[in-house]
Amino acid sequence: MATVHREAIQKQIQQDWANREYIEVITGSVKKITDFLNSFDMSCRSRIAVLNEKLTILERKIEYLEAWVTKGETMN
Amino acid sequence: MPRKCLICTSKSTSNITLFQKRQKNNFSVNAKSSVTRVCCICGVVDAGISQFKTVVDITVYKEEPQPALTTDYNVSTCDQKEMVFINNTHNNKVVDSISSNVCTTSARTGNCSSRFMENIPTPYLKTPQRPKQYLDIVWERINDLCKHNEQLQRENKKLKRKILKTKEMTTEKVSLTDALSNVDVLDELTLPDEQPCIEAQPCSILYQANFDTNFEDRNGFVTGIAKYIEEATVHASLNEILEEGLKHSVMLYTWRCCSRAIPQPKSNEQPNRVEIYEKTVEVLGPEVNKLLSFMYFQRKAIERFSAEVKRLCHQEKRKDFVSEAYLLTLGKFINMFAVLDELKNMKSSVKNDYSTYRRAAQFLKVMSDSHTLQESQNLSMFLAIQNKIRDTVKENLEKIPGYEELLADVVTLCIQMFETKMYLTPNEKHMLVKVMGFGLFLMDNELCNINKLDQKKRLNLNKIDRIFKNLEVVPLFGDMQIAPFNYIKRSKNYDASKWPLSCSANISPQADLMVHLPQIREDHLKYISELARYSNEVTTTYKETRTDTENKDTTDLALRGLQLLSEWTGVVTELYSWKLLHPTDHHQNKDCPQEAEEYERATRYNYTGEEKFALIEVIAMIKELQVLMSKMETVFTDAIRRNIYAELQDFIQIILREPLRKAIKNKKDLIRSILMSVRETCADWQRGVEPQADPALKGKKDPESGFGIKVPRRNVGPSSTQLYMVRTMLESLIADKSGGKRTLRKDIDGQYLMQIDQFHKTSFFWNYLLNFSDSLQQCCDLSQLWYREFYLEMTMGRRIQKCNVRHQHNEECSDLITMEKRIQFPIEMSMPWILTDHILRTKEPSVMECVLYPLDLYNDSAHYALTVFKKQFLYDEVEAEVNLCFDQFVYKLSEQMFSYYKQLAASILLDKRFRVECVARGTYYLPYPRANRYETLMRQRHVQLLGRSIDLNKLITQRINVDMLKSLELAISKFEAGDITGTVELDGLLKVNRLCHKLLSKHLALDDYEAMLREANHNILAPYGRITLHVFWELNYDFLPNYCYNAATARFVKCREISFTQPVHRDKPPQMGHQYLWGSKPLNLAYTTIFGQYTGFVGSPHFRTICRLLGYQGIAVVMEELLKIVKSLIQGNILQFTKTLMEAMPKVCKLPRYDYGSPGVLGYYHAQLNDIVQYPDAKTELFHNFRELGNTILFCLQMEQALSQEEVCDLLHAAPFQNIFPRPFCKEGEKPETKQKRLETKFAALHQAMIAREGDLLTRERLCCGLSIFEVILARLRNYLDDPIWIGPPSLNGVMNIDECTEFHRLWSALQFVYCIPVGENEFTVEELFGEGLNWAGCAMITLLGQQRRFEALDFCYHILRVQRVDGKDENVKGIVCNFDEHLKRMVDRIRRFQVLNSQIFAVLNKYLKTGENDSLSIEHVRCFPPPIHPSITTVHSHGHYYRPEHIHQMVQHNH
Repeated sequence: MATVHREAIQKQIQQDWANREYIEVITGSVKKITDFLNSFDMSCRSRIAVLNEKLTILERKIEYLEAWVTKGETMN
Repeated sequence: MPRKCLICTSKSTSNITLFQKRQKNNFSVNAKSSVTRVCCICGVVDAGISQFKTVVDITVYKEEPQPALTTDYNVSTCDQKEMVFINNTHNNKVVDSISSNVCTTSARTGNCSSRFMENIPTPYLKTPQRPKQYLDIVWERINDLCKHNEQLQRENKKLKRKILKTKEMTTEKVSLTDALSNVDVLDELTLPDEQPCIEAQPCSILYQANFDTNFEDRNGFVTGIAKYIEEATVHASLNEILEEGLKHSVMLYTWRCCSRAIPQPKSNEQPNRVEIYEKTVEVLGPEVNKLLSFMYFQRKAIERFSAEVKRLCHQEKRKDFVSEAYLLTLGKFINMFAVLDELKNMKSSVKNDYSTYRRAAQFLKVMSDSHTLQESQNLSMFLAIQNKIRDTVKENLEKIPGYEELLADVVTLCIQMFETKMYLTPNEKHMLVKVMGFGLFLMDNELCNINKLDQKKRLNLNKIDRIFKNLEVVPLFGDMQIAPFNYIKRSKNYDASKWPLSCSANISPQADLMVHLPQIREDHLKYISELARYSNEVTTTYKETRTDTENKDTTDLALRGLQLLSEWTGVVTELYSWKLLHPTDHHQNKDCPQEAEEYERATRYNYTGEEKFALIEVIAMIKELQVLMSKMETVFTDAIRRNIYAELQDFIQIILREPLRKAIKNKKDLIRSILMSVRETCADWQRGVEPQADPALKGKKDPESGFGIKVPRRNVGPSSTQLYMVRTMLESLIADKSGGKRTLRKDIDGQYLMQIDQFHKTSFFWNYLLNFSDSLQQCCDLSQLWYREFYLEMTMGRRIQKCNVRHQHNEECSDLITMEKRIQFPIEMSMPWILTDHILRTKEPSVMECVLYPLDLYNDSAHYALTVFKKQFLYDEVEAEVNLCFDQFVYKLSEQMFSYYKQLAASILLDKRFRVECVARGTYYLPYPRANRYETLMRQRHVQLLGRSIDLNKLITQRINVDMLKSLELAISKFEAGDITGTVELDGLLKVNRLCHKLLSKHLALDDYEAMLREANHNILAPYGRITLHVFWELNYDFLPNYCYNAATARFVKCREISFTQPVHRDKPPQMGHQYLWGSKPLNLAYTTIFGQYTGFVGSPHFRTICRLLGYQGIAVVMEELLKIVKSLIQGNILQFTKTLMEAMPKVCKLPRYDYGSPGVLGYYHAQLNDIVQYPDAKTELFHNFRELGNTILFCLQMEQALSQEEVCDLLHAAPFQNIFPRPFCKEGEKPETKQKRLETKFAALHQAMIAREGDLLTRERLCCGLSIFEVILARLRNYLDDPIWIGPPSLNGVMNIDECTEFHRLWSALQFVYCIPVGENEFTVEELFGEGLNWAGCAMITLLGQQRRFEALDFCYHILRVQRVDGKDENVKGIVCNFDEHLKRMVDRIRRFQVLNSQIFAVLNKYLKTGENDSLSIEHVRCFPPPIHPSITTVHSHGHYYRPEHIHQMVQHNH
């Protein structure tokens, strides 16, 4: 009986290892997803910044050209 | 059978079959298909029997944070979770209580709202809170589980990944393998981020899984030795007390004085005093409750501690083995008491607040019952008595016999751990030192003398002395510290001779960063290169699994990295603490003013420049390495788990077999049972159970072929409790100090002892490694560099001596009430800013790229304020400071960037020979600006600061745009403040600005240069810019009236002697910084010198620059305006003068015969023209008017020429674009064709023929058909000469006037006669006064009137010249100018000179006027006259005719 009991416990311990491994794998994957999201975020930010810069240039150019062409009439 | 979903109670569940291919992912669990129930609503997997579950919830909080630990599946807030993984573990006896939370909000990620106010639960809880019934539930379930064991085994583990695709949350079959490979695929997505990484770890989402169960799962390990399971229970509760203690210490440290802000009733008669007191009680009530709970806590903690000590000091127990972990926990208690006591002593505001509360409460009689009164009395005493906690602990301990022995063990353990570096974070290191100090203090009393313990070799005071010297000041919180020597000095039996270093004057190595720096640098370099090599290897090669050795190496690498980081962080924080305790003063530091504040003396003036650089360097190293390591975190953690698993299992399953065999054989039952317990607690057998056939279990030898045990491999480490159990049990085997009792060591062979010992040592760090991300963060925590609660409290309420705000100080500065109370320190005293500012101030290129690292200290501090201090006001203060600092930072940075690029541009354009000459003469040294690394900073597009993402590039661009515009505006303003000669300098300035713009545009998206120039020139809305207007203004008011032209130099020079106009008033040049001009002071000086050369004259360089600056439009405008002036001149003044003078002219003035001789002719003319000669205004105003006219004509001519040159240059520049190349030079034997071809290919890339062709269309057109501005100008001038006075009445003879003085040229002849008369000494000639503009005006008018030939033939002066040439006489003619011997000769010389000049002028004018005459259309109108018939044709014919002078000369000689 004792052996059976011991074996049961050993198996449970083994099962515990397996479960925890599963959790670790999932956690690790979530971590990877998090890392991905972070670098995705950074990448997007940099690309959006570049886009923003281009838009700003265009806006300023339009403002300048508008002022030039209309001689300031539409500036009010 | 329909079943309800356990989560959302929906009945719509469906069965799906999962197929798990786990082998590929190293799952050793057998793959089996199973039926799984999936809820259609919430998508949760339910595997049928749900007795026992472990839920890992990865929660992204949307609204309300929830404690993440769930012991069962009842996740009621399903809607709050975006993904839920449920893992059914049926064959599980051990409950893993796991909380793995996603902290969406952190200091780095922002959105820090009021939820971080104190007491509001934060989503990031390190240790999850557990319900009290937890234990019972666990027990019940374990029993249940055992009963249902058979049944449970039939069930397999089921995995499910849920993908939410649509709003209806449709489910789809996804195997774990697929899910994991999906995650792996994420790596392959390219995410370009083109900015160099020079900032600390940027992250928007912070994910930290925390698997620390705080021994909750201890009962799972029933096979462990009961004593240690019991001990684990104790540990768990002690840990909770420690955690509470931390909360109280945080409460004390962050205590801000409230009573100061509360109004105090001035007198007893004040009507609203009841109200005031009521409010006081209301406000301070919650705070006082905190103090009360603190008092109760310390009482409880001391009791608990004493009880533990008492238990362990029991005589029987003393003999027993006490584990290292236990002793360490006791040490932590000692540390906690020390810290709490120190904080309580230092914080006087706590006492003040309480007494305020008490006064109010007593007045209102709130504390009526005796219990409350007593409590209040106790608290009052508790707060008032210094060192109360310390003394109580000591008092309590002294009642326990033999406590000092136990404390000595604790202290010895601390020494040992300190020396063998058995700690990871700096905090732990400091804890050890504090425990040593406070422990010794507690031990030392009348009965027990620590010196005696030293003699008994129980303690080694010498070692402690050294440790204390090395760490004289231990950081506590922020700006608070403990000096461990103070404990020793305060103890009863302090003997200075035993502590030689405690009084030594030597400065602790802690105070000197420089001694550590070389080592740190070396370590950093070595480690970084190793990490880089490893990182490359990992990213380039893909391996399914790595070998054990590789994993071990990686684990070692990770641990070494953590240790290095911790060491460096320690060095920084220890230096900071030491400096805080040792402030400087005006004697030690010359820069420190006498009235400097305390905090200022401790921070701002307390570091030398070198130290600041060193600090920056070390901080940069820490942050940089942190980024690198966290980038590799997944790789590291993977290797760490595999390595730890392998080492643990190998050790337990293989290595422990031998001592086990021996113990069984020798019947050492205790050892056997311990070893068996160790094996059963954490062995993960290949087949699920221990191999029964193992001969070692029977104490027998292995068979010859060996007994093969295959140890499995997994990607998981032991749970924290498991690790504790294994380590403690093994420790009990090898412990050699179990109080006199026979140790187990003796029964184990030496080699096994060594192995066990080694394992014990290695496994110490496993906990840290398994919590890698947390450990990494703690090792790099530099947040305390900002906190200054202690100094704030000290300064609070003290009057600030001087106003630190930079402004015009006024009376308010000295009597403002707000100035009296220091609410926060200015940024100049704040460490992060001191370091940032140091970089900005020194502009040191080597650390320029590190400038974002000191700023990241704010992130650390803010993170700490949110996660540990949990105080909104601290976060707000950090935020406020960051707002201020960052503005300053961007302002200073962009300013110096602009100035750097301006200097660079100016240096590039500076004349090379001038530079060489300067160096040779040593006048001034003009180095190129030191190359600096601004590019990297300019490429930063997302800097993370307090959760905000800042586009640094954009901010810098904005500022530099403004600077650039200002620079151009100032250049023009400078020009406006000077005369016309400034054009060259203006052009130079614009060139430098253009180059600067070009250099900056490589990195920044600045506005178009041309657009900026137009804006600065006010040329967008107005048709003409400031430059054009000023050029015209200067021409009109200064150039035309004041300058004299000289054809020999082709320059105009200002007539300085006499001015015919009002002096010109110009605006003063604006004050401007060096960076707006040429960049720096030496460059300004150099350029001023260079351009100084151009200020004395107006010549071709000026005209060329005017051409460039004005452009076609500007030139046209200027000329048009000039013509208007000329028109008014000609038709106004000059016409008036002409009319007046024509009256004065003789009606007839003949050419006298040669026979009169030259003096006679001169005399004749002088007599005839006397009225003109005597006319007062002729030599002044009239000539001045003519000069203005002439100067205008000359200006137009020069502009024409300059424009032509510019255009030719343009054409040449455009040529290669249009595939037009100069003929290449060929040596002998070379073919020009091949060279030509080579040129063509070389310039093929430039081929933009269309644009270039269009560009120079105008230029070409002009040059081809000879379009000339000057010609047009002359034509316009001709039109202005429409008055009859210029031509006079038609000649009487019908051909031409000869002797009559009616035409303009006669008048000009008279004027020429006037100015040809030589002047006396000290008188100015017309050349000096008016220059050649005068002649140009006359000649131009004559030419335009078509009187050139007549003028040349009939001019008075020319006649005199001709006659004088013949007779060569030279004598004084009376009445003209006396006292001149060579008078006639001089006059003739002048005439000759003017004649040459006039003919030159005529030639030039005719060249421009006659250009159209080659045209075939123009017909030359020639009037033919018959030769005159004279009756006396045969007699004297020679005198009637005009002969050329030389001819006459010959004739005269012949006659003679």
